Amino acid sequence: MAIPVSMAMAATPTDSASRVWSMSSLKSALPSPSSFRLPTSSSRRPVTLRLPISSPSLPSFSGLSPVNPLLSIGLPDWQSFENGFKIVDGGGRVYAMRHGRRVPKLNRPPDQRKALLRGLTTQLLKHGRIKTTRARASAMRKFVDKMITLAKDGSLHKRRQALGYIYEKQIVHALFAEVPDRYGERNGGYTRIIRTLPRRGDNAPMAYIELV
Amino acid sequence: MAASVDPLVVGRVIGDVLDMFIPTATMSVYFGPKHITNGCEIKPSTTLNPPKVNISGHSDELYTLVMTDPDAPSPSEPSLREWVHWIVVDIPGGTNPSKGKEILPYMEPKPPVGIHRYIFVLFRQNSPVGLMVQQPLSRANFSTRMFAGHLDLGLPVATVYFNAQKEPASRRR
Repeated sequence: MAIPVSMAMAATPTDSASRVWSMSSLKSALPSPSSFRLPTSSSRRPVTLRLPISSPSLPSFSGLSPVNPLLSIGLPDWQSFENGFKIVDGGGRVYAMRHGRRVPKLNRPPDQRKALLRGLTTQLLKHGRIKTTRARASAMRKFVDKMITLAKDGSLHKRRQALGYIYEKQIVHALFAEVPDRYGERNGGYTRIIRTLPRRGDNAPMAYIELV
Repeated sequence: MAASVDPLVVGRVIGDVLDMFIPTATMSVYFGPKHITNGCEIKPSTTLNPPKVNISGHSDELYTLVMTDPDAPSPSEPSLREWVHWIVVDIPGGTNPSKGKEILPYMEPKPPVGIHRYIFVLFRQNSPVGLMVQQPLSRANFSTRMFAGHLDLGLPVATVYFNAQKEPASRRR
């Protein structure tokens, strides 16, 4: 892991006072040299790196200020690569792209989104097959499966949890009555989505979602 | 992600009502001006009269047509699976069901709850059926597989299905 760091350090401009490293001293300073193999057979001569440190001969005490990990590699008490990069900021990272975000927002604020999904799962459990947009159908799957899993459990606590989510209590009672027979052997995947023709008014892609 | 692309498998027509088959005949069904494709949405108000069905094949072959609804009374609880709407036997190839013998008169789709699938199944007969079959005792709890086995029809040769749901009573704005 020190190799890419060394490449980065080689790209930085050298100052008036610079230290020249040789590959062997770098190897000895590394915590676990057995984790990777250096290309010693390919190049015999030591690779020289330039480290921009203003005073290389001072002792290693750097006080309480956070040490720049790129500078700390030259200091004698540098332990490992990861320590320098711990930044305490509460975990909030803001990226420009949506990479890895899996909650479908359905163009609605959170309270409306929850209400929409509750209504859709209620209607699906009532009618067995409904026609809606593809985004809503694929967003609903998780919650329909959750309700059927609650019904499979069957205890009073789960029944009350289902009653708190589904809008009509007759549907909850009917669900708890018939799910053990109908889905007893099936493990998950209680819905099926069939894509169909787009809606005429706004060309929205539509889908049927049905209980398996 | 559907494992198969065939709309009959995706719509679970093969599975709930039929077994996997290889279509060897073509059948085109028209309700008025609308041609039925697998999974299309049809309003029950346009299905009051029996559809026009054109069957391919030679005129010396005889075909049987069955129209059923596997989602009766509701797709989430199909306790009356299947509800049979129409049975016509001894249809000569290349013609339509009016030239055959109507065992069970046509009943129009009336889905009470949810979206129902209505399936037209075409079988090729080995021999004229004639009087071998009578009207089923009730339209409910019909089994197309057992009907085909009873008349020794084998696997179907053509199938098409459409979806229909109850129309709202008041006119949509």
